[in-house]
Amino acid sequence: MYRTVVNRILLTKNTGGGRRCLLRFPDLRTAVSSSRFSTTTEPQTFPNRPLNPADSSTSSSSTSFQTSSAAGDIPRQERKNPRAEYQGEQARVLQASLRHVLRLGWSEEAMIAGAKEVGISPSIVGSFPRKEAALVEFFMDDCLQRLIDRIDSGEELQDLIPSQCIYKLVRFRLEMQAPYISKWPQALSIQAHPLNVSTSFKQRAMLVDEIWHAAGDEASDLDWYVKRTVLGGIYSTTEIYMLTDSSPEFRDTWLFLDNRVKDAFDLKKTIQEVFSPSIPFPLFF
Amino acid sequence: MALRLVTKTLSSRISPKLCSASLLHSHATSFGFKEVREEEKSQMVGKVFSNVASNYDLMNDFMSGGLHRLWKDRLVSKLSPFPGMKHLDVAGGTGDVAFRILESVNSIKRRALQDPLNDDLQEETRIYVCDINPNMLDVGKNRALEKGLGEDKSLVWVQGDAEALSFEDNSMDGYTIAFGIRNVTHIEKVLSEAYRVLKRGGRFLCLELSHVDIPVFKELYDFYSFSVIPRLGEIVAGDRESYQYLVESIRRFPPQEKFASMIADAGFQKVEYENLVGGVVAIHSGLKI
Repeated sequence: MYRTVVNRILLTKNTGGGRRCLLRFPDLRTAVSSSRFSTTTEPQTFPNRPLNPADSSTSSSSTSFQTSSAAGDIPRQERKNPRAEYQGEQARVLQASLRHVLRLGWSEEAMIAGAKEVGISPSIVGSFPRKEAALVEFFMDDCLQRLIDRIDSGEELQDLIPSQCIYKLVRFRLEMQAPYISKWPQALSIQAHPLNVSTSFKQRAMLVDEIWHAAGDEASDLDWYVKRTVLGGIYSTTEIYMLTDSSPEFRDTWLFLDNRVKDAFDLKKTIQEVFSPSIPFPLFF
Repeated sequence: MALRLVTKTLSSRISPKLCSASLLHSHATSFGFKEVREEEKSQMVGKVFSNVASNYDLMNDFMSGGLHRLWKDRLVSKLSPFPGMKHLDVAGGTGDVAFRILESVNSIKRRALQDPLNDDLQEETRIYVCDINPNMLDVGKNRALEKGLGEDKSLVWVQGDAEALSFEDNSMDGYTIAFGIRNVTHIEKVLSEAYRVLKRGGRFLCLELSHVDIPVFKELYDFYSFSVIPRLGEIVAGDRESYQYLVESIRRFPPQEKFASMIADAGFQKVEYENLVGGVVAIHSGLKI
């Protein structure tokens, strides 16, 4: 939601296919994401180091974001922003924990195994506010970032009609979950937990918004909500269908998705025709 | 329960620098509301705890209405113990926190563990209970025997000074101090020792009686502290002085924000505190990275 507004303002000058600056995302993510990686600053550890003005834009929560996408940058980030070290370490632990999820589920055990792999005491798991939820949310954010990267680098998306673009993007996003599909029901139940619902809702809203924006959506009125709700519905139903799909490479799921997207667009056309000015109003009754 | 994060800007460091030094000095020379010499404080505190040791748990139940059990439960759940953990509980004389951690670790084991590697780790769990006062440790050891944990090699009772621990650097996964840091002479030494013994990723947790700010509740709490508790101490334990010291030392201890900044000064990151019962008790936590 925030992205579309900001990007409309900022991208009017930039070329359409250019890689969007990562610096903007962390600030928006800080606004949208909960206080999970909130701005605790402990300047006491390095009192003599002057505050680098460039650091103010890379807020502390950005380190975790960039750490997961650019592993080679970790030392540079930590030198520049030593205060954010613990967030970087937490991100590393979560990244390592993902490799244990298939074996141990989205659980504390996976996070403990991840911490041991990285060489940090498993006590750090206690510092995550909602433990398993932190792992699931990290994964969702990671997937969203990969989707954004794909959108940015994919020129051909602009040539597709909206329904095909949406199909491609939803499919791409759901394929990221394919490796974890055996444990995905657990992730869904964690996301549905009352404590975690608000964060997972925000993440899904951002995801849906992202996809619509890539499909070239220009609406800003009531239509905006309708579109996102419909796409949210398509995404969720496909996700759940995928859980019980045993066809090779989830062929049935993609067929299901294709049909749902077609249904939604057909419905939209129907509604437009019904309310179009070509039919005189009194003829309704 | 309100969770608050500590934020400090560069500018606010300069002015409190002068008064933080005096605050620490005043803690080191205060015995409740009395002024004493630094060297004497440790001895006087020692006497207090030797006196109260035998009735310690009973008095805790009376004074807090049994709530101290819930506070300790909350402390241990925040810690998230795991099998194979090396934990240090400082000033944990009678073993309340240590027993809870042990129970938590053992119950994790009893739950269907998916990771077969952890079966061996269960043997490696070590909880060190460190206290400067041998009387308190004796009470703790007896309680362990009563609970059937006398032969459990996970529990290790150590006599030692929180300001100069005998443990190696980077050896502990967790460090807790429950209702103990108020009684030390030099808070900052305890904090830096805690930082020293913790591993990377280790957590520091401190449960302590703290300051109440809520208007009406504050007055009620003050009345309860100064009128009811010393009287209760007199009746139940026959020792008014020690309990007078107790309530006075709570007032002299730095408030939540100040203590949080002291923890950050020691090198900990992600310093947070959580008030329980409106500030009567606060759990401070820090992460070593």
